[in-house]
Amino acid sequence: MKTIATRRGALTAGVAAALSLALAACGGGGDGATDGTGSGAAAPGASAAAQDALSKPAELTFWTWVAGIEKTVDKFQQKYPNIKVKVVNAGQSADQYTKLQTVMKAGTGAPDVAQIEYFALPQFALSKQVVNLAEHGADKVKDRFSPSAWGQVSINGGVFGIPQDTGPMAMFYRKDIFDKLDLKPPATWAEFVETARKVKKAEPDTFMASIDPGDAGGVDSMIWQAGGVPFKSTGATDVSVTLATDPGVKRWVDTWTPLLTEKLVDVQPGWTDEWWKSMESGKYATWLAGAWAPSPLTSSIPKSKGKWAVAPMPQYDAAAPANSENGGSSVAVTTQSKNIPAAVAFAEWLNSDPEAVRSLNTEVGLFPATRTLLDDQAWRGTAFDYFDGQQANEVLSAASSAVRTDWQYLPFQVYANSIFKDTVGQAIDGGDLAAGLKTWQDRITAFGNEQGFTVTNG
Amino acid sequence: MATILPTRQATAEVAASAAGRDARQGEFCATPHGNANITGPERGVTAPSARPGTGHVLLRQHLAGYAFFLPFLVVFLVAIVAPLAYAVYLSLFQDRMIGGTVFVGLANYARAIGDAVFGTGLLRVALFLAVQVPIMLGLALFCALAIDSGRLRWPRLFRITIFMPYAVPAVVAALMWGYMYGDQFGLTGQIGRALGLDLPDLMSRSWMLAAIGNMVTWEFVGYNMILLYAALRAVPGELYEAAEVDGAGAVRIAWSIKLPALRPALLVATIFSIIGSFQLFNEPNILQKLAPAVVTTGYTPNMYAYNLAFNGQQINYSAAIAVVLGLVTVVVAYTVQLATARRERAL
Repeated sequence: MKTIATRRGALTAGVAAALSLALAACGGGGDGATDGTGSGAAAPGASAAAQDALSKPAELTFWTWVAGIEKTVDKFQQKYPNIKVKVVNAGQSADQYTKLQTVMKAGTGAPDVAQIEYFALPQFALSKQVVNLAEHGADKVKDRFSPSAWGQVSINGGVFGIPQDTGPMAMFYRKDIFDKLDLKPPATWAEFVETARKVKKAEPDTFMASIDPGDAGGVDSMIWQAGGVPFKSTGATDVSVTLATDPGVKRWVDTWTPLLTEKLVDVQPGWTDEWWKSMESGKYATWLAGAWAPSPLTSSIPKSKGKWAVAPMPQYDAAAPANSENGGSSVAVTTQSKNIPAAVAFAEWLNSDPEAVRSLNTEVGLFPATRTLLDDQAWRGTAFDYFDGQQANEVLSAASSAVRTDWQYLPFQVYANSIFKDTVGQAIDGGDLAAGLKTWQDRITAFGNEQGFTVTNG
Repeated sequence: MATILPTRQATAEVAASAAGRDARQGEFCATPHGNANITGPERGVTAPSARPGTGHVLLRQHLAGYAFFLPFLVVFLVAIVAPLAYAVYLSLFQDRMIGGTVFVGLANYARAIGDAVFGTGLLRVALFLAVQVPIMLGLALFCALAIDSGRLRWPRLFRITIFMPYAVPAVVAALMWGYMYGDQFGLTGQIGRALGLDLPDLMSRSWMLAAIGNMVTWEFVGYNMILLYAALRAVPGELYEAAEVDGAGAVRIAWSIKLPALRPALLVATIFSIIGSFQLFNEPNILQKLAPAVVTTGYTPNMYAYNLAFNGQQINYSAAIAVVLGLVTVVVAYTVQLATARRERAL
């Protein structure tokens, strides 16, 4: 299972340190549009039940694979010494979900609080393995989060996690290559394809981008950005999968088919040693990725500092900019927890307290889900050394605002994503995208029906 | 679930004892799950009862026999029989996300037999078996004969060097080879550039199985060599002396004495290799990250079972796949053994 958030989880503390230097300037003042300073006894605006829970002694276990999150948890411990939080790394993404599902089925051994990526959350919500936080006053913190983040934890009318970080898509590009070829970053997908042809013509060994045939999340995000809603669930058991007919999916297919057939993009698994070396050597002119990308860029290819810049995603309709999310996690409370109020209070504080969210951003390296930062002028104005002084957060905040909120994941997206490489991945690696998507749809449909859902394709 | 996650180490332990004892005597009786010495405890029990004595003594002796047998029996039941029985039990149900667990009888088996992904995976490992195992055993045989010939300058160094890859964990080996196969910045790419050749991408669809075969050969030649070498050491010296008296040269001795003496050990090595091939997992699973479009979720039957269980939550169907895979392995291994035994009788 390779998801973007998984990879981001592999971040080193070094990145966080580098970022914290860059962002130190805005650490003190400028709370701008936020609703509090976070220095009180409990987070202002937190539910009464949460405030009460925070004052009683409790022990919580927290499963997460975010490297360095202990720093933020320590701040919680200092503030609320009655609550002891044990941070456990139970593996990344699918590995953790397997364990979580096993202990939930076993009826014992589950953590109180667990990191769950947005794409996997419906699965846990549906099987009632995580608590509906709306029943515990979580709606009170709703306004602290970006609509796209909150939309991803809202499932079937409930709220099943507190958003921790997000990944609104953006186009990271090699400024040195664009300058050398006298090209401008493409604003539309039509321009993207044209620019790709120019790059290929001028530099036959350079590709406009790379695409990973095993990365379902990346393609999901591009379909989402194209306006597609191929996965829908209504109620608890009705699911519709329309990968073969959705107009948004078709827009993506029509754009990416020439990119693939003319070999303007390189089919290459991402995040391998080879891929990073290619990224460093300038083999790829752009990287379409979530807003978390500055962290891995800074840590994995520090020598490319100053060569990169960030621009909004290319658009299908320049008049109506649309965007999508890639990766990102929520923090959920398991139904097995013996101390649900304290667990909810901890999850809320960790991801919405102003002090905590600054720590998550600067010390841990996560791209925020909260308006506390996304709307903060000083934060948005931070100059990134890696991007040659560009105020990258300005672009990324705008990218977050443009995210379409109608996207949905399947209640069994973990499995669907795992067979992506068997179907669409084959087509990306030299085949017909539409046919690959149809095969993916068929296998998802068969699996869903087998699992007791009613899956339709219309 | 014991059959889902294979460890070659487990079979290795059995191999070590089998090579030392049974291989020489030609009494080896292998099952795919490695419990090679079923005849052992029985011998221990029947021997005393053959002796005359009073019923009382006989009973005490029986009890003593069972007491010695008990630790093995417990481990055997807990570690081998119970997981197998549980896998079979699991395979008779279906656990749905909506609707919970229901008994479905043999439906999972019916589905497994008609499953194209599973079938393709089986054929792939069968092809792997047919090509890779003879190459690997041929190399191992050559190395064992070379060491045994006494004509190498540093036989121990030779032996340990060939054996060393077996000590490298399969996961580490796969990562290492994955790097070497890289056609851009890996060793293959560097050699290609240095020589000005356009070398093929070893992790492409047409080369992947060969690339995995190369890795497995590298890992297990040394292990099989030790197995064969141990059998060669057990050949009585008188046979060589007699052959020399008869005027046989080194080649003739190898052909007429060493090879026949090696037949039981070769059979053991072949059966382990058959099991290993059907259970191929670590190498393709690691390379999957480097070539996701080539190594699909059902690339080998074991990977298929693993992905069904852990990504698809289809533990029951996965158990059925594992049981069918186990049966296929038993049939193939037993056929090979039977064919060898028949030929031996014919000789």
